[in-house]
Amino acid sequence: MNPFFAVAGLILFVSLMFMLPLVPALVELKRKSDALPLNVIQQHAGEIRHFANSFRTYIQVLQPTLRRCVASGATASGALPDGVKYLALGRCDDPQALPIQQPGAICPVTIVAGSDIIVPPETTFVRDIYAGGRFRGGDNNSYRAILGEEDVHLGRFSRVTRWVHAVGEFAADPGCGLSGRISSDSCIRLQGACTFLRLNAPRIEIGPARAGEDSMPPNSEDRAVEGSESVQRFLYDGNFEVHAGELITGNIVARGKLHVGSGARIRGSVKSAGDMLLETGVSVRGSAISGRQMLIGPDCVINGPVVAEHSLRIAAGVQCGSLSHPTTVSAPRMEVEEGVAVFGTLWAREHGEVVTIP
Amino acid sequence: MIYVLYFIVFMICIYTARHYWFTLNRLFGFQRHPYIDIDTASWPLVTVLVAAHNEEKVISNILSALMTVKYPEDRMLVIPVNDRSTDGTRAIIDEFVARFPGRIWPFHRVAGKSGKAAALKDAMELVKTEVILIFDADYIPGAGLIKQLVAPFFDPEVGGVMGRVVPLNVGTNLLTRLLDLERTGGYQVDQQARMNLRLVPQHGGTVAGVRLSALREIGGWNDKSLTEDTDLTYRLLLYGWKTAYQNRSECYEEVPETWAVRIKQIMRWAKGHNQAMVTYGLRLLLGKHRATLRERIDGVLLLGIYVMAPVTLLGWALALAVFFQGLAPLHGVIALFSLTAYAALGNLAAFFEIAAAARLDGTRTRICLLPFLVLGFAVSIFSVSRAALSQVSDLVTGAELHWDKTERFRKVS
Repeated sequence: MNPFFAVAGLILFVSLMFMLPLVPALVELKRKSDALPLNVIQQHAGEIRHFANSFRTYIQVLQPTLRRCVASGATASGALPDGVKYLALGRCDDPQALPIQQPGAICPVTIVAGSDIIVPPETTFVRDIYAGGRFRGGDNNSYRAILGEEDVHLGRFSRVTRWVHAVGEFAADPGCGLSGRISSDSCIRLQGACTFLRLNAPRIEIGPARAGEDSMPPNSEDRAVEGSESVQRFLYDGNFEVHAGELITGNIVARGKLHVGSGARIRGSVKSAGDMLLETGVSVRGSAISGRQMLIGPDCVINGPVVAEHSLRIAAGVQCGSLSHPTTVSAPRMEVEEGVAVFGTLWAREHGEVVTIP
Repeated sequence: MIYVLYFIVFMICIYTARHYWFTLNRLFGFQRHPYIDIDTASWPLVTVLVAAHNEEKVISNILSALMTVKYPEDRMLVIPVNDRSTDGTRAIIDEFVARFPGRIWPFHRVAGKSGKAAALKDAMELVKTEVILIFDADYIPGAGLIKQLVAPFFDPEVGGVMGRVVPLNVGTNLLTRLLDLERTGGYQVDQQARMNLRLVPQHGGTVAGVRLSALREIGGWNDKSLTEDTDLTYRLLLYGWKTAYQNRSECYEEVPETWAVRIKQIMRWAKGHNQAMVTYGLRLLLGKHRATLRERIDGVLLLGIYVMAPVTLLGWALALAVFFQGLAPLHGVIALFSLTAYAALGNLAAFFEIAAAARLDGTRTRICLLPFLVLGFAVSIFSVSRAALSQVSDLVTGAELHWDKTERFRKVS
């Protein structure tokens, strides 16, 4: 072979090999098949009621049918514009009125009730439910989603897979598993051994109702100011302890662990990079943030957001936020004893559980 | 000469390892988003500063967006900082002020030192709130962004907050597509990994926030700095304040559409960064202050990223010189490694980071463009080296650093 052609061929071959990785790049540059900006939903504001609002809009087309059913006490069925089957109930305050009777039944249709609705136990509802009045669920039920225009009450050991929104009060009996979003415009009450992820209501009560209690905590003097105001900062490079009964005005930041003794009052926020322990009766005017685990002892009062990056345990009698100062309590894993009140959001990213203390 | 070369190779290896560490952390490590769940709170008063210098093409977009965000109207004040604009910026701002009485308080700056930091410094006389957010005029905040950027300030250790910047004009040309990939890697992997590892997330000066008391403690805006964001990051760090990065707080921006504008932009960034390195590098590493050991190390490495461009060029030159001088330790392996280290390992680490970032974003096909990043890399390495050289010559001649505004490409709305 002519050496010139051999060298030229080699150069050509190497050049082609060099160009090979550029072929998909050139194709993509020409086609622009993935050239849109990353999808940032401009209207997304993390609204917990998003799905409930969408569902209300979705079933709007059924309102005339529903009104006729309510007037006549009849039941109607059909399909929504997207083909999903529905059952419109005019009168359903008797579980016998529902076309689901035997235990273990699966209800495959969207249920739209014009008034109060009581559903039988041991039933799986694979589609969403709308209640124009109060909703009362039997024990051991499984729901996809519920929108209630008044109170929603789930029976023992019920399961929710996506969301529930109650315009009135939401209550879950012991042993319920609440995945997804649970919200109420009034109040959420969870009984013992319930599990949850994200709860939002003006008032969230864990355990039996606390009779006669208003929204203001015992240390109401500490509650007038919000958490992010400009106050002095105390920064400690290691562990730090606030002694029992001590009053500190300022923000405390500990790069190690933070231990706040019983009855101490912090007129500011507290932060620890390590574990945080708030003993009995501590009050914090601002927020409490821990880079690891946080343990909030009995009868503490925290005004601002509570965040633990790993896990959080809240003892009985703790109050977070108030009606006038709603707040967020958040941790990946959370245990909440009965007798806790949170005003705003209670958010366990991975697992939240109501713990019953004998 | 050979020892200088050894040192350069060592530095390249450090940066390569750092890229891999960050990427693997993002793919397999514990992800920190501590403040993103704060959706209910007594939201504090907040001032939103919008830096605007001849921004008639874009200013109405951001002001419209800010007027519709989900934040209590009576808790948020917008201050457009109109910095000596000579176009229609002032008229547009005044029109918004009339349309939204009490919600927008304009600051029309007609004289004074040039530069964003100088303008922000002057605007501070109007700021009364503890929480301050800062946007450049070409950004378009979404409905939930203000709450997301304010939420970290409930943590008393947080002095600064940074959101994620997402290019809007991605599909315009090759450059915008490459910049989209670079931004993806920079935010989705680099910034979030630094947040995860409690290192030094960088304040970007836009889609960002700062705590007023922290800003006062560190001496306010530094109008001598070309990159006030880098300067702010390091001063906050030295005083024991954290910068929190919020990866899920995304905001659209416009990236340069021409190479000339891009080169100008990256040269300004390089000069500002190098300026911060000279000012804070040694103090951060060895001084007595509140930064932790890992923050000191990462902070210095972050300060050094723009120096690595001329250092790499020098390494290539030295490797050739060593080879042709007949110095070939380990039978030339060192020389060969010096030549190829950055191109092979260094770039591969960066490419791996960007590919991982694209995967985390759920975008796949755009990864095909990765080979073209060599082009972006080549332009950057020479532009950044040129910036460093001009900075050294400015130092010798005593010339002042000059601030260049990045040109906008959006059509007037």
